[in-house]
Amino acid sequence: MFKKGMLFSLIAVMLLLSGCAGFQVGSDKGAALEAGAEGKVVVDFWSFWGSEIRRPVIEKIIEDFNNSQDEIVVKHTFVPWGDIWTKELASIAAGDPPDVVINDIKATALRGQKKQAMNLSQFLEKDDISERFYPELWEATLYEGDSYGVPFNTDTRILYYNKEAFKEVGLDPEKPPTTWAELEEYAAKLDKKNGDTYDRLGFYPLFGINYDVWMLNAAGQNVVDNKGNVEVDTDINRQTLDWLLGWKERYGDNVINSYKSQIDSQQSNPFFTGKLAMFVNTPTFNTQIRDYAPELDFGVAMLPESEPGNGHTSWGGGFVAEIPEGSSHPKEAWEFIKYLTDQDAQEYWAVKNYDNVANIKAAEATAKNAEMSEKDRIVYQMAVENMPNTLLTPTPLQAPDFPTLINPEIDNVMLGKKTPTKALQDAQAAVERLVKENQ
Amino acid sequence: MKKRKLHFKRQEGLVGYIFILPWIIGFLIFTAGPLLFSLGASFTNYNITSQMDFIGIRNYEKLLMDDQLFWTSLYNTLYYVAFSVPLTTIGAIFLSVLLNQDVPGLRFFRTIYYLPAVLSGVGVYLLWMQLLDPGTGLINMMLGWVGIDGPNWLFDPEWTKPSLILMKLWSVGGGMLLYLASLQGVPKSLYEAAEIDGASTWQQFRYITIPMITPVIFFDVVTSLIGGFQIFQEAYVMTNGGGGPVNSLLFYNYYMWNKAFKVFDMGYAMAMSWVLFLIVFVLTMINLKLAPRWVHYEGEAKK
Repeated sequence: MFKKGMLFSLIAVMLLLSGCAGFQVGSDKGAALEAGAEGKVVVDFWSFWGSEIRRPVIEKIIEDFNNSQDEIVVKHTFVPWGDIWTKELASIAAGDPPDVVINDIKATALRGQKKQAMNLSQFLEKDDISERFYPELWEATLYEGDSYGVPFNTDTRILYYNKEAFKEVGLDPEKPPTTWAELEEYAAKLDKKNGDTYDRLGFYPLFGINYDVWMLNAAGQNVVDNKGNVEVDTDINRQTLDWLLGWKERYGDNVINSYKSQIDSQQSNPFFTGKLAMFVNTPTFNTQIRDYAPELDFGVAMLPESEPGNGHTSWGGGFVAEIPEGSSHPKEAWEFIKYLTDQDAQEYWAVKNYDNVANIKAAEATAKNAEMSEKDRIVYQMAVENMPNTLLTPTPLQAPDFPTLINPEIDNVMLGKKTPTKALQDAQAAVERLVKENQ
Repeated sequence: MKKRKLHFKRQEGLVGYIFILPWIIGFLIFTAGPLLFSLGASFTNYNITSQMDFIGIRNYEKLLMDDQLFWTSLYNTLYYVAFSVPLTTIGAIFLSVLLNQDVPGLRFFRTIYYLPAVLSGVGVYLLWMQLLDPGTGLINMMLGWVGIDGPNWLFDPEWTKPSLILMKLWSVGGGMLLYLASLQGVPKSLYEAAEIDGASTWQQFRYITIPMITPVIFFDVVTSLIGGFQIFQEAYVMTNGGGGPVNSLLFYNYYMWNKAFKVFDMGYAMAMSWVLFLIVFVLTMINLKLAPRWVHYEGEAKK
């Protein structure tokens, strides 16, 4: 009897031990892969580009890189958008991260501070590639003067307007509005009211973008800068909110809501059907027009300035390629990042995906690329010209989650439950408190 | 002889433990371990990658005294639980009683009502976002037919949480199935006896049906209470990663997730999870204490 019991426990223990061995597979697997690639170093690259448009493009870039290398082979892993960064974080904590990851440019400095991303200055000392990129993008990757990610792609916000509608109401289709005052004046002319509803809406500032872009546009600076200075409760912001409220009163909730839901549903965007004459969006919105309203006669312009001479400040974001802390092949990863952000790969990405890229030369070359239609080139050219006006909103280290404090206050303003003055005072106090807590 | 028997019993016990060993080890490594780790780390400034210094109860202090959104998120969550748990329970009971009647096409109806419980996740949320659209959504359109000017649902802070509760009510089919099973188990003889005694339908329902299914009601209330406190996905998807208008959909777990994975303040998030654990623990304890007063088990002798 007893012997049988012993046998049982022996088997159980053996099973257990073999189970434990499973935990070590991670490192074995890495070694096996390297051997499989004929002695080459494998760079594990994570991106969220899994769509049928993006995936072939990035994989072609990787293939070209691999063909050009004797020592390195890049292996692409697609991780869905909703998982990629939490998975990355877990793998960094576990000490077995990938070697290159595409991440949000806004919080690059924060990840540098938390030692999630590797300090790239050791590589940049040898080959400084910072000049390749738009300065505003490069700036966003810096924490205490060192870079923690290399800009890959970006975006900006521009004004689309319907040329036919302009002609119809006697406006010059080559002269889009350049100031807020003109924007209002043009919109009033373009409005076509029909009883309680509109057959055509001139413009509404909160379609396509949010209040924060207009605050940025008017103030020319972020509400919280990278030193933790809070500039929420300012005259400019109050005037901006008053201006936005003016638009809301003019059209009324019902009209705005019904237009908004059409915009959200994409295909039936009223801008495609001429029911909305002017609309702010990213340059890539052009691809939607191309797909859903190829006949539309439209033009593009920079965002109007709040006052003449105040600047056409716009807002953008983007993604960086970074090396997670603890990567086992940082040198090889750097080689790949250099290739990924160099002119050829960037231009290929830009043309094939119709996307704005961080590399200045590649962006400028794309705007002239003969592979694209004339319309595509015009919009792309506008995006390139708009980049110097484009500000990023990097996550401030002192108040990384400040939007959760400001947004509800502004919501209350737009719902008519708080005056702009009171809301901005409250938001200012709340964000200052957050900054103080984090110091 | 006696000695041998004892020995055998001990052996049997040993074998039993070996059989459940995988589960015990799994529990220790994957549940108890992380649980204790998070308790420990909630007293530190842990940020996953670069720091883990002991800071005493500062996380808890900050959470309860200083945090400007902790109470908002807790209020939102309590509001949701307070309405969704009773409503879904009553809804599920009501539905299961209806579907327990002998009418033609019963199987068809059961399938239809259970279907939403099969569909789940992001697709359903997106569908509801369209249904609830104030301008073009089906719900406001139907309200319009009977002359009601529908609310702005997901855009009006007063209506965002009711919107979610409405959505939850749509998928009571899961609970319905449990009740249906237990309704089938109520002995017919009880109803026959009651009928002979002249009990009305309502009395039969109130004094026979309800008491007989109380164990399932109890189970449903406890699990949906715990589940209700964990609401996260709905808010995350339906607000596109914001907190909804005026932070009205900033639920506790969602706020915690933000602190952990957006701000990387993992120690703080772990402290938050322990506060939630305590709240849920106390509520479940109260539930268990109250249970003997209203839950009837078949064949149980009443004291």
